[in-house]
Amino acid sequence: MDYEFHWNIVFQNMPELLNGAFVTLHVSVLAMLLGVVIAILLAIAKMNNTKFFCHVATVWVEIARNTPALFQIYMAYFGLGAFGIHLSPYVAVLSALVFINAGYLTETFRGGFQSIPTTQYSASKSLGMTSFQAYRYIILPQMLRRIYHPMTNQFVWSILMSSLGILVGMSELSGTTQRLQSLSFRTLEFFIVAAVMYFVITKLVLFSSSLLARRLFKGEI
Amino acid sequence: MIRKLATLVFACAALTSVNATADQLDTVIQRGTLNCGVVLDFPPMGYFDENNEPAGFDVDYCNDLGEVLGVDVNILNLTWGDRIPSLISGKTDVVIGSTSDTLERAKTVGFTYPYFVFKFQVIAHEDKSIKSFADLENLKVGAALGTTYETEYLAYADKQGWGRDNYTSFKSENDAFLGLYQGKVDAIISTNTNIATKLRSKEFADFVAGPYVPNYDDVVGIIAKRDEVAWINYLNLFLVRQIRDGNMNKAYNKHFGVDAPAELIQSLRDNK
Repeated sequence: MDYEFHWNIVFQNMPELLNGAFVTLHVSVLAMLLGVVIAILLAIAKMNNTKFFCHVATVWVEIARNTPALFQIYMAYFGLGAFGIHLSPYVAVLSALVFINAGYLTETFRGGFQSIPTTQYSASKSLGMTSFQAYRYIILPQMLRRIYHPMTNQFVWSILMSSLGILVGMSELSGTTQRLQSLSFRTLEFFIVAAVMYFVITKLVLFSSSLLARRLFKGEI
Repeated sequence: MIRKLATLVFACAALTSVNATADQLDTVIQRGTLNCGVVLDFPPMGYFDENNEPAGFDVDYCNDLGEVLGVDVNILNLTWGDRIPSLISGKTDVVIGSTSDTLERAKTVGFTYPYFVFKFQVIAHEDKSIKSFADLENLKVGAALGTTYETEYLAYADKQGWGRDNYTSFKSENDAFLGLYQGKVDAIISTNTNIATKLRSKEFADFVAGPYVPNYDDVVGIIAKRDEVAWINYLNLFLVRQIRDGNMNKAYNKHFGVDAPAELIQSLRDNK
């Protein structure tokens, strides 16, 4: 390939790139936290005997898992826009990512819940625990331990998916990269650096989540 | 026998060395196809006509170029951001895509002489009554990502100390107009040509063209790989001949409904 790399232009714009990387990290962490909370609720709803909650959860999961993320981000931005609901690019991407994360994690959590024998629930009840206590001290800790790895996978996936934010003009890492490269047309240089940044971000997230796991589960993972 | 063999070897060597110096111009002619990149969501320079075929001023230029080269033309649809990667990866031989000829970009790609001059303009709902560029201060403004008008607007906003909170960038020209139509932004910046085309459609009946970006002419060139000097030379002559032979005026008339303004022709002749 007859191409001369000009790296200095990338270093001149490093502050803007780092700013973009921060937005990427920010939106994916928030999307993950909200996604986990909603997924736990949806998983409980799915196992619930009340038909209504079960249906809501099923529809959510089916749509989230069987349509492209690109389409969901577009719907959150331009789709809702057609009805006069205007989300900012950040909120549109955040809500689409929360929707997807919750959809995928619901199934993971449901699997986790079902892997805990129901006799444990009965046993904790017979020890005088309330339902909440049974979930809080017996079921959830074991469940979280089992689904911890699939959950971190989803986290990494959501960091990488946030790059689709470029579609709705969000200034995260990809959007910033695209704008900066259009000024100098140094496409390859900027994209390579952005790819390295994504790599570093995901590695950092994986590393800190394994640290967290070691603290939480005391090596039993 | 040995002499014959030697001749053959020499002939082969000569052939390969000819091939080794083949430049883009040779490659296109030998291939028999010109891969011409155009941005097809930028009417009337590039768009899809009612039969869903590529059409527009830039597409006509691609076809004119193919004709003088004596090759078939393969039009590739690009976004603004795809223009350079498509050249570097060899997917396109040339991009006729309204590329502003900044000195920064010219460090990366080769520019021809200018082939068109745009004005950057504001389009907004008529209720906003924007008289001058300074009226944009407290409005939500958008533009397509990676365009020179985005850069120009941001430079202006930064200079005025407006900050960038009110600014939204869109992935494509169509998305920017969709955002304006839906009311996500109060105004967008685009080119006078694109705005004039959009204002003719009924969706934008309540919108009006506003002021121009101050002190800025958007002069655009055709781009090719920077080191393909002979190819760029050929493209330069092609552009000169487009004006001299009247093809430029023909394409302008076809897409803008009037003859090309004398000052536009003159500034292209002067290579401004």
